[in-house]
Amino acid sequence: MPLDTSAYSLALLRVDGRRWNELRRIHAQIRTQAAADGSSYLEMGHTKVMCVVTGPSEPGPRRGTTGGAAAGASKAAAEVAVSVVVAGFSSVDRKKRGRGDKRNLELQSTISNALAASLHTHLFPHSVIQVSLHVLSQDGSLLAALINAATLACVDAGIPMTDYVVACTAGSTSTYAAGDESADPLLDLNHQEEQELPGLTVATLGETDRVAVLVCESRVQVGRLEGMLAVGVDGCKQVREILDRVVREKGKRMVLEGTVVKGEGLEDMDLD
Amino acid sequence: MPITITAPKAVRPSYATADNASDDSGSDSSSDNGADLEGDIPMTSSSRRKEDKSYSIVTPGEVITDDPQWMRGHGTYVSASTAAIVSSVAGTITRTNKLLSVRPLRARYTPEVGDLVVGRIVEVQAKRWRVDVGGSQLASLPLSAINLPGGILRKRTETDELQIRTFFAEGDLLVAEVQQLFSDGGAVLHTRSLKYGKLRNGVFVAVSGMGGGGGVVRSRRQVWTMEAANGAGPLDVVLGVNGFVWISKHVETPEALVAETKSATTGITNLEESVSTTMYSSQNDRIGIETMREIARIRGVVTALVENGLRVDEDMLVRGYHEAVEMALLSGGGADDIYLGGERGEQLAAALTGV
Repeated sequence: MPLDTSAYSLALLRVDGRRWNELRRIHAQIRTQAAADGSSYLEMGHTKVMCVVTGPSEPGPRRGTTGGAAAGASKAAAEVAVSVVVAGFSSVDRKKRGRGDKRNLELQSTISNALAASLHTHLFPHSVIQVSLHVLSQDGSLLAALINAATLACVDAGIPMTDYVVACTAGSTSTYAAGDESADPLLDLNHQEEQELPGLTVATLGETDRVAVLVCESRVQVGRLEGMLAVGVDGCKQVREILDRVVREKGKRMVLEGTVVKGEGLEDMDLD
Repeated sequence: MPITITAPKAVRPSYATADNASDDSGSDSSSDNGADLEGDIPMTSSSRRKEDKSYSIVTPGEVITDDPQWMRGHGTYVSASTAAIVSSVAGTITRTNKLLSVRPLRARYTPEVGDLVVGRIVEVQAKRWRVDVGGSQLASLPLSAINLPGGILRKRTETDELQIRTFFAEGDLLVAEVQQLFSDGGAVLHTRSLKYGKLRNGVFVAVSGMGGGGGVVRSRRQVWTMEAANGAGPLDVVLGVNGFVWISKHVETPEALVAETKSATTGITNLEESVSTTMYSSQNDRIGIETMREIARIRGVVTALVENGLRVDEDMLVRGYHEAVEMALLSGGGADDIYLGGERGEQLAAALTGV
């Protein structure tokens, strides 16, 4: 089904009724699996992903290697191992993607590199941080959702990091072929828009403008890129606020329940 | 086709409200813990922290202070550009004089010297074992740091090295103490006391430990013997600081055994042998049905405490156990009813906290 671009120019509303700079509903939870070191569940619109973090922990002796300690002993920093599993029922067409699927591998290495840059892995020598991501439902912005879920799970696991790595997508209102220089940028593409329009995924380090991930898999005029990037980075800041609120709510609840000892705070230090 | 994950239950009434409420109203403990804060340099506090300040939760990337008089501790880092102290984990701020650190809401166990831990052997090497204690690295237990059979304190020999698997093999559980820490966070354990050593006759539960987020807390007593109800006899409970818990049938400790045999005027070599043969045995003793049932009940209490966000220590566990025994008698199922999940667990937690 072609995207009704003419309707956009008339009402400035997208197919799902959003304006150009609106995010879809983001719903997130942390600590969804009690047995895991860290876990999260994240919905960005109808894209739903789940993440479980195990570690940092030292893998036991590996089979096939002599002297298990030698296997990872020379590592000065923790390794971030990411695995992405896309459920067969997650998209409209039921497609089985194997373990060696190229798209999957690329998602995994992108996420792994982004997290490894932010996490303080040097604090955990000889160990592995295992991040397992499960895609339950896909409706565009998959990479962004995966990065956000992984970040939340790492926060839940208590792994020190420089800042949240938050991601979001940005696109443009007309196709590459249309060559429309006056096209508006769009924030947070859904599946339909992702199919029709040029788009990119951008991840930033917290509130700063430092870009951690930038992936663009479609053709787009270079003139439109700056606008898209600016909108994407702005979206990341909004996403950070949302994720931060989720973590704070959870922390507040844990303090109230007495699971965590209340912090001493700095406010009383302001007085003297 | 939408996929839904059912929303979590409504927020439980918080058990610790009473003492939190009193804390909230201007707890000024800072003046008496010796923090000597001179100078009137104002702290930068972002608007975000203001709104949550009664809980003092900080999240990764949040600037704690840019005042150079503070030193950074665990859970923080110094930003390269501004030289401010920034939090690297989500947690609560603690300070010791001028040292600022952030205690994470939850993290894996970080060993400290003197901690009593329960661990599992994952690897046997030539002169040491590698033990999983739930930390970020495996701890190591050198052959020279265990009680070798035939004399409590004797030097290890080559024969001992050759039969290293007869002491501990892969998968064995043990209770030990952290003896030493390496600079990279690795720990060295020892079992050179008759209270430490191999574990048998019981059941293992892993809950979260001292890393944060409830679970086992450091306390005065981590190991004790309690009298179980319903004719089960005494039970031993070991709460490892790392969150690994061991509940077992009480067997006479080697010391008691030694004292007994001494009074029976047996030869000294004889008794030491008898001690050492039982010390590294992996064979369980005969355990009665009642004892197994009560062990399972204590295990149920531990998991119920953790599920309801309560700490696990001697006081809570003993009280929780007695409560659970009562609940079982009242439920109509009699002593055999050991289920403590779901609503039963909440009921137990409510009874313990007096809400």
